[in-house]
Amino acid sequence: MQKGEMYVGWSTKDDVRKRGGSGGLVTSMLAAALDKKLVDAVVVLKKINEFEAVPIITSDINEVLNSAGSLHSVPSHFAKLIANRNLKVALPAKGCDVRGIIEQGKRNAINMENTFIVGLNCGGSMHPVVTREMLEVMYKIKPEDVHGEEIEKGKLIFKTKDGKENAITIDELEEKGYGRRESCRYCTIKIPTNSDIACGNWGVTGDLVGKATFVEINSEKGARLLQNAVDAGYIQVQKPDEKGVAMRTKIKGVMEGLGQKWKDKIFVPMDNRLEYFRKELEHCIDCGACKAVCPTCSCGDVSKCTEYHFRSDAYKMSMYHLVRFLHLGDACIGCGQCSDVCPVDIPLTRLYRRFANPIQLELKYEPGMDTRKPPYFEVKLNE
Amino acid sequence: MSGVAIAKTDGWEPKIVAFCCNWCSYGGADSAGMGRFQQPASARIIRVMCSGRIDPLHVFNAFLEGADAVLVTGCHIGDCHYVSGNDKTKIKYKYLENVVRELGIEKERLQLNWISASEGEKFANFIRDVTAQIKKLGPSPLKPEGVV
Ligand SMILES: Cc1cc2nc3c(=O)[nH]c(=O)nc-3n(C[C@H](O)[C@H](O)[C@H](O)COP(=O)(O)OP(=O)(O)OC[C@H]3O[C@@H](n4cnc5c(N)ncnc54)[C@H](O)[C@@H]3O)c2cc1C
Ligand code: SF4
Ligand code: SF4
Ligand code: SF4
Ligand code: FES
Repeated sequence: MQKGEMYVGWSTKDDVRKRGGSGGLVTSMLAAALDKKLVDAVVVLKKINEFEAVPIITSDINEVLNSAGSLHSVPSHFAKLIANRNLKVALPAKGCDVRGIIEQGKRNAINMENTFIVGLNCGGSMHPVVTREMLEVMYKIKPEDVHGEEIEKGKLIFKTKDGKENAITIDELEEKGYGRRESCRYCTIKIPTNSDIACGNWGVTGDLVGKATFVEINSEKGARLLQNAVDAGYIQVQKPDEKGVAMRTKIKGVMEGLGQKWKDKIFVPMDNRLEYFRKELEHCIDCGACKAVCPTCSCGDVSKCTEYHFRSDAYKMSMYHLVRFLHLGDACIGCGQCSDVCPVDIPLTRLYRRFANPIQLELKYEPGMDTRKPPYFEVKLNE
Repeated sequence: MSGVAIAKTDGWEPKIVAFCCNWCSYGGADSAGMGRFQQPASARIIRVMCSGRIDPLHVFNAFLEGADAVLVTGCHIGDCHYVSGNDKTKIKYKYLENVVRELGIEKERLQLNWISASEGEKFANFIRDVTAQIKKLGPSPLKPEGVV
């Protein structure tokens, strides 16, 4: 097995295959890595209920196998979880997780040699609080009655405990302000080519739909992960058919196009921008949560954005945010974490992307997509 | 009867913060004075040892404290006394400019210029030009309440 190869595979454990998002290959591969000591720990989501979960770092193979399944309303982020811990670890990662991990790697907070990144294709994730409201308003079901959730053919389906399936198209949900987080709508990394191995259900065809995972090996580490799982008897793989490969490429293109459309729709040119930013940031209470979660920031508690910011200055713009607008110019990966955690609901990602979009375009720099050094740290720009 | 309207008329002098490198533009400012080149009283010069020392934070601070314009100046590329300080200035300036522009601040309010120690006249002309531009624009929208 080597870089560039594609396979379709599934877990050899029937219950894992059933519970898995699309065949349980990911959890089985992670478990095999633990079992055969490729890594010392694995990161997975531990379920609280059908649409809420917390990430954990574990060395328990059963806990890993138990995590099978995709949770679409858990917009967790794994980069900071494993930063500065010097772990030998394997973890599942949505596109934005991968980008965060790579950026932490550049800042020497994660040793990439010891980190096996299992990329998950990602059409988007939802905020759990918004999901609760959506269940009541749009689906007319109680969040407590939910027993399983999945996405099929553009529809978001919630199963209830009485066995019923409740489906609404994602387009309709988003028209009403629900559905995916805003950052996911314009995210354009749908297949994480920056991970060690990219996994998803796109490209699985025929009888295997829903029962197998499509994988693409992106690195030597990815090849080792997959080979190890096959050798250890955790998974079974076969070559994908041509139709599936073509379908996967096509869906990727369509999704990226939709992402670009959303981007153009959200980031329209605007007059009176200073007033806009002032208004949006007016209610900031300086809690620092947006910095604490930001997966591309590796400053500790003492950092430039916080040390020169005093509320008593009563400046017309927040010094904290000004410094962050600058520092995140080339670093922001658009993961949406800052918007997710802000206690006063400032649409921070939208603000930060206003600054990041133009400079990243101008410098032709996409953070988290490869190991290129941030241009800010160059001695000379290659213009 | 807005104070801004009055300020925009003849009496108002903009406050221009000019960061100058010890080895070049600060000397340029000096020779501007020695050469008796006419220059407005608008400039507040802050001397740094190299333009590479100018942190974007210093520029934000100047604006937030009431500067109507901020000038970043240094040695011509290739002449930096610390070899590549001004190359780094160029990079930082690009990021700084991006933030200031996206904020919606007029481009005249933030400018970069390379001025050597012997270019007194260039320095004087630069300050004069910027002062005229800013007089047209009026006070900076970032100026705190109560600061002229
Ligand atoms: C939010 C989200 C959106 C997705 N969208 C698409 C898509 O549009 N197209 C596509 O082809 N594939 C998508 N996938 C991937 C797909 O759902 C499967 O995860 C993938 O095919 C692997 O299936 P599996 O059965 O091998 O994984 P499993 O064996 O079920 O393992 C899944 C692993 O992912 C982890 N995980 C679950 N939810 C999350 C989460 N929210 N964040 C991080 N890790 C999580 C679990 O802990 C588990 O370790 C998405 C996955 C997620 C999490
Ligand atoms: S930002 Fe992109 S990768 Fe991250 S959850 Fe949203 S769609 Fe997925
Ligand atoms: S600024 Fe916000 S969207 Fe950008 S990387 Fe940080 S947390 Fe993610
Ligand atoms: S999370 Fe919100 S309130 Fe807290 S510092 Fe960030 S913007 Fe301000
Ligand atoms: S010494 Fe003048 S710019 Fe570096």
